[in-house]
Amino acid sequence: MIGKWRVLSGLIATAMVAATAAPALAEDWKPQRPIEIIAPAGPGGGWDLIARTMQKALTEEKLVDKPIIVTNKPGGGGATGWNYLKGKSGQGEFLAANSPLILQNNLLGKSDLTYKNFFMLANLMAEWEVVAVKADSPWKTGKEFFEAMKKDPSSMHIGVGPALGNDDHIQFLTLTKAFGADPKAVKFVVYPNTAAEQIPALLGGHIQAITISLAETLEQVKAGKLRILGVSSPERVSELPNVPTWKEQGVDFVFPHWRGVMAAPGLSPAQQKFWTETIDKMVKSKTWKDSLETLGWDDYYTPSTDYVTFLDKQDTLMRESLTDVGLIK
Amino acid sequence: MEAILHNLGLGLEVALTPNNIMWVFIGGLLGTIIGMLPGLGPATGVAVLIPITYGMNPATALITMSAVYYGAMFGGSRASIMINTPGDASAIVSCFDGYPMAKKGKAGSALAISAIASFVGGMIGMVCLVFFTEPVAAMALKFGPAEKFSLMLFALTATITLSEGSILKGFIAMGIGFMLATIGIDGQSGAIRFTMGIDDLQDGIDFLVVMIGLYAVTEVFKNFSAMDVKYDIDAKSIGRVWVSWPDFKKSIGPMLRGSPLGFLIGVLPGAGGTIATFLSYAVEKSVTKKPAEFGKGAIQGLAGPEAANNACSCGALVPLLTLGIPGSGTAAVMLGALMMLGVRPGPILFEQHPEIAWGVIASMLVGNIMLLMINLPLAVPLVRLLKIPQRIMLPLILGMGYMGTYFLNYASFDFILVSLAALAGYMLVKLSIPIPPMVLALILGGMTEQSFRNSLTIANGSLSIFWEQPISLAFLVLAAISLVYALNKQKKLMKMPSTPEEEAD
Repeated sequence: MIGKWRVLSGLIATAMVAATAAPALAEDWKPQRPIEIIAPAGPGGGWDLIARTMQKALTEEKLVDKPIIVTNKPGGGGATGWNYLKGKSGQGEFLAANSPLILQNNLLGKSDLTYKNFFMLANLMAEWEVVAVKADSPWKTGKEFFEAMKKDPSSMHIGVGPALGNDDHIQFLTLTKAFGADPKAVKFVVYPNTAAEQIPALLGGHIQAITISLAETLEQVKAGKLRILGVSSPERVSELPNVPTWKEQGVDFVFPHWRGVMAAPGLSPAQQKFWTETIDKMVKSKTWKDSLETLGWDDYYTPSTDYVTFLDKQDTLMRESLTDVGLIK
Repeated sequence: MEAILHNLGLGLEVALTPNNIMWVFIGGLLGTIIGMLPGLGPATGVAVLIPITYGMNPATALITMSAVYYGAMFGGSRASIMINTPGDASAIVSCFDGYPMAKKGKAGSALAISAIASFVGGMIGMVCLVFFTEPVAAMALKFGPAEKFSLMLFALTATITLSEGSILKGFIAMGIGFMLATIGIDGQSGAIRFTMGIDDLQDGIDFLVVMIGLYAVTEVFKNFSAMDVKYDIDAKSIGRVWVSWPDFKKSIGPMLRGSPLGFLIGVLPGAGGTIATFLSYAVEKSVTKKPAEFGKGAIQGLAGPEAANNACSCGALVPLLTLGIPGSGTAAVMLGALMMLGVRPGPILFEQHPEIAWGVIASMLVGNIMLLMINLPLAVPLVRLLKIPQRIMLPLILGMGYMGTYFLNYASFDFILVSLAALAGYMLVKLSIPIPPMVLALILGGMTEQSFRNSLTIANGSLSIFWEQPISLAFLVLAAISLVYALNKQKKLMKMPSTPEEEAD
């Protein structure tokens, strides 16, 4: 009896090895186990939303035949989740959401991780950055505002959050320089709770302007409480047709607040091919497009190779701005 | 005004559909249970629920999530009272007198009064919300960084004066709390402070982890030596979940003081339940004729803060109503879920979707009543927990404490932190250094520092901003008064011969 079982289990084992080995031999690769998309933050934020939107689109469009789970791994401004992904080297079943923080954490010396540690799969969406003032304030354009700032930098206080060195901050520094004022003289007031503190502070007259992402101010602008001086998009955004871009105001500055997805390092060409093709199908699907629409996000799909070129450029720009004001020594 | 009543009527129509009432009940019950587990607060509860809400219409989804939020607040103090383990920061104060009450065999009264006070606070808060939204919203906008700093300074000094024994020890505790709060990345300068090269400390120390260590695990240590001691508890009185008339009479004042206080603090941007509960406790202790009873099971010390906490959550709706800005982390999670449903929160939400916005407000009214009905009967099986022998109960608390710690950040490093906090807690108890100032300083430390720096940035480096702004000056004066009052009290105590009450606990 025992002998028989041994033969049988041996056969089963051989069959299993053959089954797992077969795809690796072939040209094509497919996920072998459930797929895990890591949101390196708690539920409810941008990373979580993008991970869950991907989960929804990939599942509903049947682009993968394994189940997908989203795991929240908050901590270290993304570093905890990304480190976890880094540890999955060569495994094609792990993806993670990312954002400019992967550049900024490294630039500011908070983390050793860079985008070069991963297979950068695709840039997916963008929100745009704005500078907003109170609706009854005297400044109507970027030029007027920065002229006033040049005259008396100590009378202008700019709200930013949750910490210096992020996209909001870098936008303002770049603009200040472009409009001919001194980035070092800008008085930033840092609000750890971001919009929830920045907007009341602006409405209460404690600060004169905020640099923030468009979505956070949109409803306030519609309600007539805030005015946006300019937006960092290449063309005017459909929600606010009257608001000029920075480009229109003579500053060559297009600055997306983007979010993308990356995979573990050390993937085989077959694994890379599978994911680039799958994501390409996903961003063209109806489910994906509809979800972006409901969330109010702009499609900013950039496939892998172009994504890396884009990141190289962003890295240079941010390094420059942050060195200017002494955040990078 | 009329418009508000009209809208409230509209909201009640939405809230009172059988389907929504059912979800308020399910959400409230679920929230209460989640809130009772250490480490699982309202934010986690709401997050867990997000997938369930996908199929719902937005109004029902938001109503369900609010019910969980509310339920978790009711439930949070259950764990404080029964096992000295606060579920979230605003339930810390409920440990001060709730747990001693339970130890004295008055767990039934403690649970009952906490549910009643939560209910009263919630109701008064709702009334304030309906009638005073406009004026308080205008007041909240005047609240800048200088005012915020002075308010926190006042909350801290008031808490020091609460502590038993010497004021100096209170200051030492506060100092330790502030020092712990500086650990991690500083948002302003980007500097990595005091992490000793440990990456896990970059995000700072999670005060909830420290709290679980200081309260729950320390409690296990303290009781370990007396594991086989039987408490002198009257078995009959345990099962009764009701408040005696004299106890209730004592609680009326605290509830009526705590509610408006909590509401006002809730309106202020970023202040929240922690300050509201600590301040309410401070108020009650200075108002009472027998301050020595506080910390040893005074029902007033439980009723006031519980009412303040729930009124505070109503106050936090004011910025949401007037500006479309979420007042708390939990509200932010709710808004994230709403965005998935295609509803964008903002000031126009109330014009575009009044049925959602007012439906939620009305459902909180309904939820308040329902939670009182859920929580009073639920207390009956809960008080039975006290009959469990210590040798079973203590390991259970320990296990729950460590489990809750892991649920907070899913970080195994927190196990080390919680153990260190527990050891520190044991030492602090032995040295009779009060723990509350330390916890409060740890929670408020980051905010205090940042609002101090923001004030100076806005004033271009001049300290005078703190006394030139009238609201800020008022808080500074209050802080000074509370300090002088406490010093005075201490002097009197020193002159008196030591009473039996002075014995170390």
